[in-house]
Amino acid sequence: MAKKPEYFVHESLQDRNSLIHYLRALLQGIENGEVILADDDETLTLTPNHLTLMNLRASKTKSEQSLRLKLSWTTQLTDESDSAPLFIKSKKSKKGK
Amino acid sequence: MAMRDFSKVYSSLRFLLIDLQKQLQTVYDGLIGQDTSLFAKSQERMDYIENAHLSLLNHSFHSSLRQGREQLPLQGFEHISYSLLNLSLQLNSLSQELQKLKSLKLLQKKRITQALQTLNRGLSLIVPALESEDLALTLNLCQLQGQIDKLGREQLQRYSQELKNCEQQAALLQCSFIVRDIQSMGNTLLKVGEGLLSAKLGQFMQIDRYQSLEATLCDFNQQLPSQDLRIHSMGETKSGCTLSSVQTGQEAEAQVLAIFKQGRKDKLHDEKLGIERWHQAFPGIAPEVYSYQKQGDKAALLFEYLSGETFESLLLDERERLQTAINRLFSTLSEIWHTTVQARRIAANFMPQLQKRLSAVYAVHPEFNLKDKGLRIGTAQQVSLEKLIQQATMLESELQAPFAVYIHGDFNVDNILYNAEQDSVNFVDLHRSEYQDYTQDLSVLMVSFYRLAYFEPKTRQRIRLVMEAIYDFGADYAESQRDHDYAKRMTLGLARSYISSTRFVLDKEHAKSMLFKGRYLLEHLIHQSKDNSTYRLPKELLRETF
Repeated sequence: MAKKPEYFVHESLQDRNSLIHYLRALLQGIENGEVILADDDETLTLTPNHLTLMNLRASKTKSEQSLRLKLSWTTQLTDESDSAPLFIKSKKSKKGK
Repeated sequence: MAMRDFSKVYSSLRFLLIDLQKQLQTVYDGLIGQDTSLFAKSQERMDYIENAHLSLLNHSFHSSLRQGREQLPLQGFEHISYSLLNLSLQLNSLSQELQKLKSLKLLQKKRITQALQTLNRGLSLIVPALESEDLALTLNLCQLQGQIDKLGREQLQRYSQELKNCEQQAALLQCSFIVRDIQSMGNTLLKVGEGLLSAKLGQFMQIDRYQSLEATLCDFNQQLPSQDLRIHSMGETKSGCTLSSVQTGQEAEAQVLAIFKQGRKDKLHDEKLGIERWHQAFPGIAPEVYSYQKQGDKAALLFEYLSGETFESLLLDERERLQTAINRLFSTLSEIWHTTVQARRIAANFMPQLQKRLSAVYAVHPEFNLKDKGLRIGTAQQVSLEKLIQQATMLESELQAPFAVYIHGDFNVDNILYNAEQDSVNFVDLHRSEYQDYTQDLSVLMVSFYRLAYFEPKTRQRIRLVMEAIYDFGADYAESQRDHDYAKRMTLGLARSYISSTRFVLDKEHAKSMLFKGRYLLEHLIHQSKDNSTYRLPKELLRETF
């Protein structure tokens, strides 16, 4: 069950127009519920949840400014042997009253 | 420091006892040996006894000043000391009466010497009783009063027979008074015994109350071997009460007979009323109250020990056991609601409750307090938690439950016990029970499961399943009662509980996840209520989101 985490790392220099282009592509992926990240070697597919933790960090010094956006979510990790609902509806008794 | 105070108080008490026993012995010797000079000598002890008593009070008082609150064991000592001083005063006036008598012959009777010896034995029992682990010696001491009283009554009967055919009527009457004085010293000895019980049990308790407990326990066909009754501390409740159990039997097979709860009088009084109302509204769910005692602003409640498992331990147990227990809880709740339903609309006021708790939340998690400032990211805005609560309060004012039922009021996992043998549930900690919206109990219960500090994925999944089960059970009940606003009220109740119970959660990540979920629920409800479609709780929220 405990698989090693898979990583995707990318770094490049972009002008404003191409930056917007990449951000739009990410937005599109989030909307569709699937963000595909690939390079020469491997492909990593993320499936954003409906509920996402958004962590936004910005910093500013005289010489440098940065903005970091971290989105994280949990994927449903169900133990199949223990996933059925626990509540048993009692059908007859209540309607009868 | 507490130990030093204790030993000072204790040694004062021992000095007092030594002098009191000397005083009694001197009176006794004077009576037996017809030596009236000894009566005057016995009276000299009074000064020593008063001094020891004052020194005890002094040490006890200083201790309570330093500790900042009452030291219950020391209060017990004070009670004993007052009674012993009283006994000394009674002995003093007895010796003065004896001095006035022309002859002591009529008092040199077996029953009278036995009564005085019994009194002396009682005094000798005090220190061993205090030092002993159990209550047997204390109870023996209390029983001595009965013996003294019986001896006195028999002697008085003798005197009254002699009165008929005797010329020394005046002397006989004087002797009768003395016997009555000895009897009343027996009563004072009983007061000492009660003080001992109080010191050992940690609160004031009268002997007849103890006997009523004994009687009640006998009704359950339980033998009460008073030799090995033990009091075990069980810690403190969230509301600041201390809990102890009354046990019998040796360590391994110890059996709990009753629970003592002591604390603030207002809380315990509410709890007693809550229990009594449960007995009326739905018998069999709340524990029996054996005794309720108050002293100043403190009180003590002695009630039935209910055996059973908490849902916290069932959560980690086999799925089948948990499922049986939780569905028993559901059917019990349905029965309670059907039985206690009142056809009147009622407001749960979740948002005002939350507003009131915010400062306590911020005290534990100051980083949650954004000082009523909202957030702005570019053109997007997020209102502050305070604003969000205000908006939700507006919404809530239109959401009253269509009926009221008798609810627990503090429906945490720890306050429900499941007895597997009888397949039954019991409630404890009932000081907030009242007629209210049933979503009050359900939302508190759900979040009390969420709040549990188990972080293994399997247990978290269990917690989610239990929360879903509680929600679905409530939804099913709401549907059967045509309660159409269930989802909205539950959302508000859950948001209230998620946010307000972060004050009990010290794990920062866990607390943060609860705050975020609470906030999200409020935003979701406010946002969704703008369109008119049926509102649904965002159930994915019951899952771990990060």
